[in-house]
Amino acid sequence: MPLPAKAFQRWLHGVAPDASVADVARASGVKRTTLAQQLVRGKVAEATVVGISRAFNINPVAALGSFEPYRDLGKPPIPPTLQELVSQIATADLLHAIISRTEPDAGTGKGTGPPGLSAPPHATSVKNWVDAIDDGELRHRVSTATGVAPQNYSAQLTANRLAPELAVATSRAAGVGLASGLVAAGLVTEAEAGWPPGARQAALDSMTDGELTVLAGERLQALGKTLRRQEHDQRQTETIWENLG
Amino acid sequence: MSEILPWITLVVCAGAALARLPSAVRGVNPTLFFIFLLATAAGILSIEQFYVAIDGALGGINIAHVVLRLIVFATIYLIAVRVTKGFGAPDAHRMIAGRPGLAMLGIFSAALVTVFLLMEPAASSVRFRDAGAASARNEALLPYYWAAARGYLAYVSLALLPALLRSVKESLPPLVRTGAALMAAGAVATVAGLCLEFAPPQILVVAPAVNNGAVVFYIAGLVLVWLARVKAASRGGHGTSSTER
Repeated sequence: MPLPAKAFQRWLHGVAPDASVADVARASGVKRTTLAQQLVRGKVAEATVVGISRAFNINPVAALGSFEPYRDLGKPPIPPTLQELVSQIATADLLHAIISRTEPDAGTGKGTGPPGLSAPPHATSVKNWVDAIDDGELRHRVSTATGVAPQNYSAQLTANRLAPELAVATSRAAGVGLASGLVAAGLVTEAEAGWPPGARQAALDSMTDGELTVLAGERLQALGKTLRRQEHDQRQTETIWENLG
Repeated sequence: MSEILPWITLVVCAGAALARLPSAVRGVNPTLFFIFLLATAAGILSIEQFYVAIDGALGGINIAHVVLRLIVFATIYLIAVRVTKGFGAPDAHRMIAGRPGLAMLGIFSAALVTVFLLMEPAASSVRFRDAGAASARNEALLPYYWAAARGYLAYVSLALLPALLRSVKESLPPLVRTGAALMAAGAVATVAGLCLEFAPPQILVVAPAVNNGAVVFYIAGLVLVWLARVKAASRGGHGTSSTER
């Protein structure tokens, strides 16, 4: 649910009283035409608010919290759970960790241990995050709370997309930090969501070799399935083009 | 009403053939152009004025009608070969182009020609409609003639139907799935066309709509699948662009 243009104008006036639309667009990196169009349609995307907040050194999560649908984002953040933190580590980073644990001297050649974790989101961030906080009934509750059909919700997860209001609704339904979903969806950074620096690395370090290996194995299995399905679809489409295209 | 239906069918087939001409000249899937061309020829022979003129040139004893039915056999055979290859249905392919399939084609073609030869020559009449009135023997043989003419089409359509329905459900480009659905509708209409030959006269009035609908559905389905490739190529998606081939 994008934000109403009226509320956005009021917020923008409070943030940058003298700036024109062109100034705001230039500073925030939002295309001027995009911004103008969103204002004309009366619906401003959350990403626009995030971009402008960053340009004016305001915390984007707090900025979103000043809009009615996201009111509760303004509250002091609940720290992320261990599972959430681990879910936002890329599969390649998990594999790096396994290698550096089993062969401490091999790998990077820099001799300074494994490379730092890449920033979220990663290729399956959204699905891994929802899986990490799902008690088995979560998808059902989100669907009931938002009115989004379960298959549409699942489709977003599979496509590694999550609309901001669905991300927040998911957090609410799971009782976890409200900004976590926005991190997984790539709308805000982990620092902006109030995750302590190094929290993901610490979570990774706290996993036993067994836990880490099982998790990486699950990720690889899921990745392999997705890749095989894509390859199958690709081959099938090509056969169709060859014969009927 | 039933006078305008063949014209609609002809326009659809001729339009598809014309639109496909440039691809055929470039050597891209010329079979597809050939299918549309055959369908156009069949469309022409289904219109009274053209039929009478062409049959007149062939002796005025309805040889043109046998030619028309054999053209329709060839058209559906080629469609079925392309579709079963494109949609990856080896079993259906065997039932149509394998030994059993060719045997069916031979049996139905032989039956068609034999029944025609057994009938007494009748004056040219489009859709063979006055042939039964020529003599009692003709009237008795006419149902067998139509059973042979429509039987092969229904056989091929039934063999195609499972593959088409499966493709509708698979994760293929939306236009391909719509095309497969249209062809499935064409297959159902073709089978219905055979059943209508044995139907009571009251519901026989829908026969022209069903039979013309079958052709239009098949051709429109093929065009949609082709358009899906054009779309994919112009977006640089899967499939090579047709100019590269």
